[in-house]
This record gives sequence, C-alpha cells and structure tokens, in this order.
Amino acid sequence: MAVKSSKKNRRSAAGKDDKEEIVKKGAKERFVEMLELPKELVLDRPKLTMVGNCDIMIENYKGVAEYSSDRLRINTGSGIVRIVGTGLIIREITSEDIIVSGTIHTLEFVNAG
Amino acid sequence: MFRLWNYLRGYVIIIVEGYFIEKFINICAKRRIQLWDCRIQKQYLATMRMSVKGFRLIRPVARKTGCKVRLLKKTGLPFVFNKYRRRRAFFAGALLFLILINFLASFIWSVEISGNKELEQSVMEEALAENGIRTGVFKYRIDTDRAVTGMMLRLEKLAWISINIKGTKVKVDIRERKNMPEIVPRDIPCDIIARKDGIIRQVIAKEGIEAVAEGDTVKKGQILISGKIPLKGGDDGSRLAHAMGTVKARTWYEAQAPVILDKAERLRTGRYITDNSLVLFSREIDLFKKKNRFQDYSVSRNVKKLSIGEDLVLPVEWITIKYIEEKIVYAYVSKEDAKREAVAQAYDKALEQVPDEADVVERIDRFIEEDGSITASVTLECIEDIGMSKRIGGN
Repeated sequence: MAVKSSKKNRRSAAGKDDKEEIVKKGAKERFVEMLELPKELVLDRPKLTMVGNCDIMIENYKGVAEYSSDRLRINTGSGIVRIVGTGLIIREITSEDIIVSGTIHTLEFVNAG
Repeated sequence: MFRLWNYLRGYVIIIVEGYFIEKFINICAKRRIQLWDCRIQKQYLATMRMSVKGFRLIRPVARKTGCKVRLLKKTGLPFVFNKYRRRRAFFAGALLFLILINFLASFIWSVEISGNKELEQSVMEEALAENGIRTGVFKYRIDTDRAVTGMMLRLEKLAWISINIKGTKVKVDIRERKNMPEIVPRDIPCDIIARKDGIIRQVIAKEGIEAVAEGDTVKKGQILISGKIPLKGGDDGSRLAHAMGTVKARTWYEAQAPVILDKAERLRTGRYITDNSLVLFSREIDLFKKKNRFQDYSVSRNVKKLSIGEDLVLPVEWITIKYIEEKIVYAYVSKEDAKREAVAQAYDKALEQVPDEADVVERIDRFIEEDGSITASVTLECIEDIGMSKRIGGN
C-alpha cells in the first residue's frame, strides 16, 4: 500500500511543476555536482548496469512494483523503472540490488522526478 | 561462484501462489531472505529459489501477503548427503579412495632432470639413486638438503643443483661447471707455451724473452715466450720471470664430408601398425600384441604418464609403439647439388671446431677424388691467441 500512495504523490507533483523541474535543479543536486560526489549514494538515485539486452542490475532500488514475465516495474529514487521484455526473471534480489535477466525490449523511466 | 556456493550450502525451490507476489518478493528482500531465480510461471504463480535458512523464516511473510508457499524440491549437497546417509559402504569406499590416493601420492613416481648438457641422464639418475632419489621411494623419507650435499660431493661437474619434490614428482635442476683454466699466480715464474699447432703471426712479450719469431711453425707445447731471462754479462746465469704476452698465430681447422650422388631417401608409405601397452607399477602389459610385418620401417615410441595436473604423476603409463612402413627410394642428385650440400656440411663441421675467440680469416674448399667417390673438404684459416701459461719446472 505504501508503494502505491507514494507513486500517486509523485505523479501529481510531477504534473504540476514539470517545466520548473527541468530548468531548475535542486540546490542539493547542484552541490553534489559541484563536488562530484557519487549521486547514487548522496541523492539516493539508482545505479543501472546493463549487459547487452539480456541483463540489468539495478543498485539502490526501493522495491518491486509489478512483476510478470514480460513486464517489470521497479520503484527507485528516480521514479519507476519500467522494463518490458520477454522471459524476464529476477535472477537475484537483495535489499540493495536486483538483477533481472531475460530479453529486454524497452527500459523506461516513468514519472521521473 | 555464487551458484556453486549455493549448491554446496543447499537450497529449496518453492512455488508461491497469490495476488501479491511482488510484495512477497519485496518483503523477503527487506528481511534479507536470500532469494534468486524468481520466475513467473503463469499469472499469480511463481517459482523461486531460496536458502534453507530463508525458508524457515518464510511463514510470517506468506501469511502477511496472503501467498501460498509450497516446497517443490530440495537441492544441494547437504540433501544429497542426507539421502545417502545410510549407505555405509559408499562412505567407506569414498574414505578408502581418499586413503589410497593419499598413500599412492606419497611415493615418488617420476624423476625429472633438467639443465644437464654434458652430464648424461643415466649418470645423473645413478647418482640420484645413490642419494635416495629414485622412482618408487617413499617421498617423506627424502631429505632434499642431504641429497643436494651428496650430489655436489658425488659429481664434480655440478656447479649448482636444486631438488624439489612436487606431488609425486622430483624435479632436479642442475647447472654444470665449466672447467677452470689453470692460472699461474703472478709471483710464480712461468713460460708461455703453445696450446696448439700453428704459424706465428705476431709475438708481443710484456715480460720474458720471445722464443719464436713471426713466420715460425710451432708445435703444441713449444715455448713461445720464455720466462728464463739470461743475465747480462753472465754466460749461463739466468733470472726466472713470470712471462706474459700475446702470441697470435695462424691455425687451421679442417673437416670433410662425402659427396653423395645416389642418395637413399626413406619415404613413408602411410601404412603403420600401432601397438599399445600398459605399464602398471613398472610392469609392462602388452594389450594387443601386434607384430611388425614391414620390411623397411621406423619405430616411434611414445610414453604417456598418467598424471593429475602436472605434478601428481600416477604409476600408470601408456606406451604406444608405432611401426611406420617406409620405402627406400634412390633419388638421383645432380653433381653440383651434391657437392654444394657436402661443402655446406663440411663447413658446418669445421666451424664447430673453431673456438669462440678465434677469427676466421680464410676459407678453402677442396674436393678430393678417390676411387670413384668424392669428398668435400673445407679448411678454415683462423687467427687466434695460442699462448698458455705453464710453470717453469712444473707440469
């Protein structure tokens, strides 16, 4: 339930000030960029590593929102990562990272914010 | 690596059925229950793998998410062991196997000698055997330090030796000593004598009296620079000195090779017989007993020692003897070609005799014809220092 409500919040927020987000970066982000700190740690962003179109590893994810053999949505600090493909399996899952295998067709960030 | 580790620890394959499989996965991940190979089989049904420890913690998660969890299969080494727990003979056999392997591996099954050039293999083997290193010896009895000392005392030619036991193999690496030239100490009087025959080209005496002049023919052992310096005024009184200097002389090295006109060539016909035999604990067992039935043939013998890795040699050998049929063909070679080849051979042979420090100044090729056969002869004229110190009065 917690996952759903946060998703809703984000969607509404993103809808309102969509343009502003693109033009203006947050002070924290600018600070991080200036000091060249790793964003995935400081800003809680996910780190995605893909090997061809068959493997993807997402570090620093938040949770699995939807899972079927051809669609996978993963909640992250940069919104929802949607993976569409065929024969998707979760090869490994721990509290920090998730490795998905299968044939990946598209990778999408939904409601990035 | 991860997979192998999981197999060694043992894991379970489970079926999870329910509406909130994602939630089930999330909670498992948050609770640090190890989970992998998660596959959706059909809607609301997934299979996944899980550690045994994780499986014990799954019940509250299943209840919370309303999923039904069923155990499909237990896999991994612990379960395999569990299955065969009652089979005593199996374990006894496994144990026996380990003991036997260990027992057999505590003997030396091969001795590898490397680095010997002039020392013959058989001499080395004999010397090693005297120091307790040979095949079939219990390896923990070998004292390599003592064997090294023994070898150094036994073989004068050795400059350095290392003996290492690796698995069932003894690796012996040696370096040979070069014979030391005799050096006469500076304060002892000596002559300089000829090391070999030659014609003197140049004599430079730093100390002592020149006993030969340019153009003289000298024999081996002849005094070139004398250490006996006659005293001025005196008739037969002389002072003894340590003669020094260089004596350059022309020397000749000659070698011959026959010119072969009808060269017999052995051509392989492509037919062969292979005979395999097995050697167990140095006893040869001929497996197939095939006899050689060719007239002209060559034999190749191939010994293969069975070994685990490179160092653990087992007492099993496989010998393949190959009899290869050959046909002798007399090929006609033109006179020029035959001569050229003979000259090249003779030249190589002559060059082998020339010492490193000599300079080759001229080469003379000749052909000697003698009752129908021709011999090529190559003479190399060199200039080299033929002087050698020798104590006066000594030998």
